[in-house]
Amino acid sequence: MKHIRNFSIIAHIDHGKSTLADRMIQLCSGISAREFKDQFLDSMDIERERGITIKSQTICLPFKARDGQEYALNLVDTPGHVDFSYEVSRALTSCEGALLLVDAAQGVEAQTLANLYLAMENDLEIIPVVNKIDLPSAEPEKVALQIEEDLGLDAEMTRYCSAKTGEGVQEILESIVSFLPPPEGDPKAELQALIFDANYDAFRGTIISVRIVNGTLRQGDTIRFMSNDAEYRVEEVGTFRIQRQSEKTLSAGMVGYIIAGIKSVQDARPGDTITLRDRPCAKALPGFKEIQQVVFSSIYPISTDDYEDLAAALEKLQLNDAALTFLKDSSAALGFGFRCGFLGLLHLEVVQERLEREFDVSLILTVPSVRYKCFLKDGSLQEIDNPAYYPDPANIDYTEEPYIKATILMPDRYMGSVMNLCMERRGENTTYHYPTPGRIELSCEIPLAEVIYDFYDRLKSITQGYGSFDYSLIDYRKSDLVKLDILVNGERVDALSQLVHRNNARARGLHACEMLKEEIPRQMFKIAIQAAIGGNVIARTTISALRKDVTAKCYGGDITRKRKLLEKQKAGKKRMKTVGNVDIPQTAFLAVLKSDQK
Amino acid sequence: MVSALYIHIPFCVSKCRYCSFSSFAGLNGLYDRYLLNVKKEMDQISAGCCKKMELQTVFLGGGTPTVLDPERLVNLLDHAEKLFGFAFDAEISVEANPGTVDGRALELLRQGGFDRLSLGVQSFSADELAMLGRCHSPMEADAAFKAARSAGFTNISLDLMYGLPGQTIESWRTTLITALTLEPEHLSMYQLTVEEGTPFGDLLASGKLELPDEDTVVAMDELNLELCGEAGLEMYEISNFSRPGYRCRHNINYWQNNEYHAAGAGAVSFSSGVREKRFDDPREYCRRVEAGDTVITEREELTLEASFRETVVMGLRMMDGVERECLVARFGLDPERYYGEVLEKLVAQQLVELTPTHLKVTPAGRLYSNIILAELV
Ligand SMILES: Nc1nc2c(ncn2[C@@H]2O[C@H](COP(=O)(O)OP(=O)(O)OP(=O)(O)O)[C@@H](O)[C@H]2O)c(=O)[nH]1
Ligand code: SF4
Repeated sequence: MKHIRNFSIIAHIDHGKSTLADRMIQLCSGISAREFKDQFLDSMDIERERGITIKSQTICLPFKARDGQEYALNLVDTPGHVDFSYEVSRALTSCEGALLLVDAAQGVEAQTLANLYLAMENDLEIIPVVNKIDLPSAEPEKVALQIEEDLGLDAEMTRYCSAKTGEGVQEILESIVSFLPPPEGDPKAELQALIFDANYDAFRGTIISVRIVNGTLRQGDTIRFMSNDAEYRVEEVGTFRIQRQSEKTLSAGMVGYIIAGIKSVQDARPGDTITLRDRPCAKALPGFKEIQQVVFSSIYPISTDDYEDLAAALEKLQLNDAALTFLKDSSAALGFGFRCGFLGLLHLEVVQERLEREFDVSLILTVPSVRYKCFLKDGSLQEIDNPAYYPDPANIDYTEEPYIKATILMPDRYMGSVMNLCMERRGENTTYHYPTPGRIELSCEIPLAEVIYDFYDRLKSITQGYGSFDYSLIDYRKSDLVKLDILVNGERVDALSQLVHRNNARARGLHACEMLKEEIPRQMFKIAIQAAIGGNVIARTTISALRKDVTAKCYGGDITRKRKLLEKQKAGKKRMKTVGNVDIPQTAFLAVLKSDQK
Repeated sequence: MVSALYIHIPFCVSKCRYCSFSSFAGLNGLYDRYLLNVKKEMDQISAGCCKKMELQTVFLGGGTPTVLDPERLVNLLDHAEKLFGFAFDAEISVEANPGTVDGRALELLRQGGFDRLSLGVQSFSADELAMLGRCHSPMEADAAFKAARSAGFTNISLDLMYGLPGQTIESWRTTLITALTLEPEHLSMYQLTVEEGTPFGDLLASGKLELPDEDTVVAMDELNLELCGEAGLEMYEISNFSRPGYRCRHNINYWQNNEYHAAGAGAVSFSSGVREKRFDDPREYCRRVEAGDTVITEREELTLEASFRETVVMGLRMMDGVERECLVARFGLDPERYYGEVLEKLVAQQLVELTPTHLKVTPAGRLYSNIILAELV
């Protein structure tokens, strides 16, 4: 056990976590550059394309240190985006230490802080690392000072590196060995293994990532999940090398995987404790907070024939994404679909992209919503995340909506405009302080609904990319909620309804009308588009009638081309949804989701 | 069996700014070599025909065929006649642009066997012609028409374009009236379509091309019907009008989706159920014929049903529509049964009319033909 180190790298998004991980893997495993795919740990297509880490992954690095000893360094990679911070806290419970990575040009950011707090809650040893020292704009000394003053970390410990060039990476590995404590635990005690992740493999079923806290686990053992007493026979245990490498045993202090014929990732809940049937432990380990879906949206296939395909695709996706929930939903306009729950808007986008790309289904999404509480006059409470189920306003006593506490770090010159943004978004209890001269940390309580509506993009553009943002849910507060309906030629398009704060209703209504006007092609008749609350129209616009759609010339030489144009027109029409007698394209549904300020 | 022949002459004096046709300017040095190779290709086509039939229609189009001197064009026609034979009442058309033909040339063409002339006039406004990049004046157009008459052409068609950048309804009316005053047998009127990859396309993309609004264009359409009607020209296809008995048989053959031979760069043929397009670049075309390589760059063969739908869609461009009996004879399919609800809906919307014998677009549906055809394609 003395030769094991379990650690993770925590950082603000884009500070170079994946790049550093890559470099470490290269140094330790000696994989040639040719074999080495960039961003090794980010293995999903979307992760690689967007350069973001979404799921935690683990890799075991064999490292021969200066003291001449062989060490096993378990790197548990963590996601950087706020939407996925629950993954970070899970990953951290399997570690004794963490590298806190800070970009030498950017300095400490909101998620640097948030992740540091998470690490501290888990009692981790922390090595601050200043990355990207190769950048001309790097100011390593200034950042080191920030780390000392803002974060209260020991400057002596700070390491400097360029994950890009590899400079300083060896030294970091040495520091991991010398400064991070080895795991504790008793390999002879009853088995206590903490599940911190589960992934689906098409051939082997669920692969559970565990940290063995106490005891030893062998192939052939019968394990028991403490939460539900489910029992499985262990087919294989092992560690995460470049590929999975099976081992005879996993014992206290180790991080590794278990394959035990488990069908779905849903059956292996992160936070659960695994023990042995024949020699169970007395107490489960403290688990994790339940994953919380905070954003909800309905997903419909464009072609109603694709419903079955969509259902299958969602099921497959869920095998590997336990954070995604879905329930059957239906819409007069769109037919059958699913109401899905997400961790945030990025999660929603990732799911949408993966469905369209990996499973080849074209989708329409409805306006994302948070979960509201409706207190009815009869004293009952309904939790509503779908406008379709919004109760009759006459029966509602009052409603509440979820609030978050937002932490925003930025250079102080943006203070005014960011304050305005927060005010616009119904922010309350704004406080701020200057962690270092020139930088402001602002915290503010904002309705979650305001944040899922393009808050992050707006913040980025207002602060020219210098503002960073982190949030956590705090509580529910009273709201003045209304249901905004969109009518096309007098017919309500249920899939476009949204729940909004009364003060935002008109602006949202106008925005929806304008977007629809842009996206709905003109038709042979005039189309009226209205936004209404109940019977009360609050915004309207019209699309004038198309007067002519004729191809002037068509001779022998261009029959094929003209026919193909018509076929394209036909295919385009097929991809539209007909409401009343109006054809509405997919892009129109998607445009309504987009904010107006881009 | 194939009874129509199209020959493409891909040369022009200069390139018009809206033009996306297969035509090239400045290749004068290639003319003779090109003609030689077109003849060679015709030889091969003729040799490949097992059942040969006299041609009912021949169309020499471009480009601008009349950039070649009339003797050469007549020589080409003679070659075709030797190979295929022409029906005694065959329609033999040639396209010409004003400024490339004079009285002598027109006489030679007429005497050489061409009996239908299609004159690319486009506009009678000097400003509009300049804006389009046409290399002739209104006066030359007028002169060419009159010379054609004197040369003995009794079947003359004029090509006009409307919906031009900056064009007003008044200027279009002037062009149209000027054209009608010449009393042509046939009139083709095309609304300008701006194609990508042309100078106009680039201007449009960068927002520098101001086209008349839709209401103006629709008013122009109405004017066409009105003035042509008064002049005794009947609309028989979306863009084509003629005096009774002067419809263009060659083009009707296309719209009926019947087969046709074709020779020359960029030309498309349709025979034995296969549509084939030739290489656009006349240099490439020549090299290939000379080397004995194929000149075909695209090939398309549709399934029976797709071909049926294509035939319906093409046929509905004509005011007479499609004849149901013909469709049944050719494909074993009748539109009413085949399209079912889709057609019922169009009938209910009064966009098409289904009679016991025909399927056709209604006058109300005429301006929405793409919407209708996109349902049926
Ligand atoms: N110049 C320079 N660029 C670096 C260095 N390390 C990382 N980068 C670049 O910084 C960007 C972000 O790096 P990533 O490793 O993807 O960042 P990350 O923190 O893993 O981001 P998430 O996965 O989204 O959390 C990439 O463009 C890297 O190429 C460095 O040492 N020097
Ligand atoms: S004359 Fe006709 S083919 Fe030639 S460039 Fe002009 S439009 Fe094109």
